[in-house]
Amino acid sequence: MTGKLANRTVIVTGATKGIGREACLALAREGAKIVATGRDEKGGLETAALVGDLGGECLYLRHDIRKENDWRDVFAKTTERFGAPHGLVNNAGIFFVKPLAETTEEDFDNIYSINVEGTFLGVKHAFQSFAASQTQGAIVNVSSLMGQVGFPNAIAYCATKGAITAMTKTAAMEGAAMSPKVRVNSLHPGVIWTPMITGTFGDDKALSDAFAADTPLKMIGLPEYMADAITFLISDDSAYITGAELTADGGRGAD
Amino acid sequence: MQRSERELAGKVAIVTGASRGIGKAVAAKFARSGACVVLTGRNVDAGTAAAKEIGGGRRDVMFVKADQGSDADWTAVLAHAQKAFGRVDILVANAGLSNNVPTAGMELSQFRDLNRTNLKGPFLGLKHCVAAMRKHGEGGSVVLMSSIVGMVGVPGYIHYSAAKGGLRLMAKAAALELGAENIRVNSIHPGMIRTDMTAGFDEQAVIPRIPLGKFGEGEDIANAALFLASNRGKFITGVQLVVDGGWTVQ
Repeated sequence: MTGKLANRTVIVTGATKGIGREACLALAREGAKIVATGRDEKGGLETAALVGDLGGECLYLRHDIRKENDWRDVFAKTTERFGAPHGLVNNAGIFFVKPLAETTEEDFDNIYSINVEGTFLGVKHAFQSFAASQTQGAIVNVSSLMGQVGFPNAIAYCATKGAITAMTKTAAMEGAAMSPKVRVNSLHPGVIWTPMITGTFGDDKALSDAFAADTPLKMIGLPEYMADAITFLISDDSAYITGAELTADGGRGAD
Repeated sequence: MQRSERELAGKVAIVTGASRGIGKAVAAKFARSGACVVLTGRNVDAGTAAAKEIGGGRRDVMFVKADQGSDADWTAVLAHAQKAFGRVDILVANAGLSNNVPTAGMELSQFRDLNRTNLKGPFLGLKHCVAAMRKHGEGGSVVLMSSIVGMVGVPGYIHYSAAKGGLRLMAKAAALELGAENIRVNSIHPGMIRTDMTAGFDEQAVIPRIPLGKFGEGEDIANAALFLASNRGKFITGVQLVVDGGWTVQ
């Protein structure tokens, strides 16, 4: 297969729906072999089938990003099927909205273990894999606009996404010191119409219209736009970019 | 199933400071991606040669002599673009001057001259190109070529810092103002890129400060500009895309 990512393999977490699924499709369009991971087997197999429909190759692996053994398993099975991977998209994460005073320790621990520890483990095992296979790898950590600016009633989510923003910069420094060098960047989506948002606020036309009206470009974000940004950051189009924050938010963060 | 290599087909782009360096790399990338390209610059010989090299005789790649800081020149550039191609969709305001002068010894005229080209010039370009984009009403994409010096300080470059920091916020303000018309405005922040502007720098002294351990190439900036200018950047406005090999991460 031809394309910017021909002969490369990319692991995408949270690939059972939303941004992760669209990332799999966009990466496959550029020729990448895909490992789509997530907890929802039905959604993961659907993603794999959609990649197959494009003429691409995709392996679905059941994966809880909180569990280090799952990460070992994902890298081992990826290597077994396609050879050592070249890219990782740390996309899996959960959203959570609750006022600060009502946010419990359990609430905080839950989102922290997924969004922060899950992303940490991904970077760690990707670094190990890239070092062992002598691969010039690339990692994209999906943070959020809410990892750059505050948002009411989202203290736990903002904390986890801010953690991803900062971890990305340290990882970029460490990755640049590796041989071959590994690039690590973060993507900061604004409001993207995915199951993560509709599952929280409802899949309501009036609501998506309201979000669009509140966005400078007067449009609602779609997961395929994020997939284009992820593909840019995984490919050699961004060969000189590391530790950067790429915001894709329709202009919400510009004010 | 692969995406189109000609993702700017049907688009008309103006690239300033396109005779050499980053601007030339951007113009070449856009031309290869199917755009009609107007290259501008002050040096007719260099600009004409760049357009010829990029276009290889194509009639949709042309050079127009223009000083980015001159309002009259912008009027002329837009007139050329409209006459030749009938529309304008993309502006990359790339032209810029740079020199090292300690602040205490800098004449106001030196400060003013650099900012005329580097800060006022992109404002004029934005103004003229937005007027052209409004004629077709289909929106557009503007890339202001800032610098890492628009994010962090560098001694000896107070005038350049003012210009590049100004471009960063100019892009954000314009993004908010023009978003409803689907005119996107973003800034790119190159670090050390191998061009004539950095030719005098001591590479071996600078490289240890760059995490990726090398200077970037014009192609690296061109890829970023194409990403923002193309449909791949359709939800991106008012952002700063840093292309610096990790320089400012530390």
